[in-house]
Amino acid sequence: MQIKLENLSFKYNKKSPLVLSDVTYTFETGNSYALKGQNGAGKTTLGKLILGLLHQNSGDIYFDDINAKKISAGIRADTIGYLFQNPDLQLFAPTVIEELTFPFELKKELTAEKQAEIQKLLKDFNLSGFEDRFPLSMSLGEKQRLALATIMSRNVDFLILDEPTSSIDNEGIIFITNFINEFINNGGGAIIISHDEKFLSNLNNVTNIHLHGGALYEKN
Amino acid sequence: MKKIDPRVKLLFIVLLTTLAVLAKDVIYLGIILLVSISINLCLKTELLMAIKRLRHFLGVLLFIAIVQSLTIKGGTVLIPIGNIALLSTKGLQFSLEFILRMSIILLSGLIAASTEGREMIDGLLKLKIPYELAFMTSISLRFIPVFSEEFRSRLNAIAMRGIDVKKLSLPKKVKVYAYLISPTISGCIMRSEELAKSMQVRGFRAYPKRTMLRELKMGVVDYLLVILSLLFSAAFLAGMYMHGVLVAF
Repeated sequence: MQIKLENLSFKYNKKSPLVLSDVTYTFETGNSYALKGQNGAGKTTLGKLILGLLHQNSGDIYFDDINAKKISAGIRADTIGYLFQNPDLQLFAPTVIEELTFPFELKKELTAEKQAEIQKLLKDFNLSGFEDRFPLSMSLGEKQRLALATIMSRNVDFLILDEPTSSIDNEGIIFITNFINEFINNGGGAIIISHDEKFLSNLNNVTNIHLHGGALYEKN
Repeated sequence: MKKIDPRVKLLFIVLLTTLAVLAKDVIYLGIILLVSISINLCLKTELLMAIKRLRHFLGVLLFIAIVQSLTIKGGTVLIPIGNIALLSTKGLQFSLEFILRMSIILLSGLIAASTEGREMIDGLLKLKIPYELAFMTSISLRFIPVFSEEFRSRLNAIAMRGIDVKKLSLPKKVKVYAYLISPTISGCIMRSEELAKSMQVRGFRAYPKRTMLRELKMGVVDYLLVILSLLFSAAFLAGMYMHGVLVAF
């Protein structure tokens, strides 16, 4: 799968400067992309544009050859998963198990097969035994693993991870590094917003891309 | 333009909202609304932004107005159904008064929002309000954008789970929003706890008596504005009394 950005420009309001200016780039599955840039350079903004949480002023985003303008944020989420910088803002259900089952219950898609998949996810993300816990009372590392499990419950092709190592311990960093590498090896793609060079150096097939002055360019 | 003393702004708010509650006439309420708009324009508040945001509440306001116009009888019947007056001039007048009154109250809130938190505290202290209460008032205003940000982030989180809230049926929408309320409130409580700790480590209430870095001083313009607004309000009240359009009379 490809995510193509074509002449993408964005600013928050009429008076503010362009955050992204005429950006053209293609992200492909099988690769990970380390998105770097100074604070306020537009890294998270770019992620939100791809996800459909913000809308560009001009230019287009294509998922393979389909213009993303036709696809709502809700539908895009079945293809792209987004890990918030602060997992507290990503979790909303009263229990861990509901966090995972709620969207499928709502769409009447909670089949026996899906329930088995969710049980496997709980195991894969070291959350077995946490089913009845209140998500917001868990540790940051546990919250992040739960947020990742909710993303993986939809079998997405692409991941956008916003500063995934900013507030977790070494053990958590090793977990997320292995998780991303496995995801890439299985044919997925990942855009990782991070400045953690040590963490990035342990990822497979990384392309370094920089955002500066609204422009996006590769830099190794 | 000289910055207006926060106490004068507080006086504007008290007078405008009091007059809006006491007036029961569309023309008088219309004049108060015009005065509120003028004050907001002079203070360069985010009037347009507020009007844009008010669009979201327009439906609720219209609904209440329609209910009022349907339930309050009197005056000339405009739309009769058999012997029942479905819509009357009295009902319409009440609903219009309601919309005008709410708009004045919301615009008064905008005047409060145009004051920095620090200034608001200073103003309340000068009015002999205890520091703790003054601080709480200011902090509660600070939490409105925090609450809105928490809620928006969780709506994004819902969208990121593949749920298109706009396309959901009403019962499902209610279910989704019910899910959002609890974490939004607990998120705000967590932030307020952090704020409380931060205040404690910075010595909040460490000493019973506080001194201020900046002392508020009323200028000539401030005194003039106080006199003018009090005179205007008194004249307005007298006018409403003479025309019999004061709520209490």
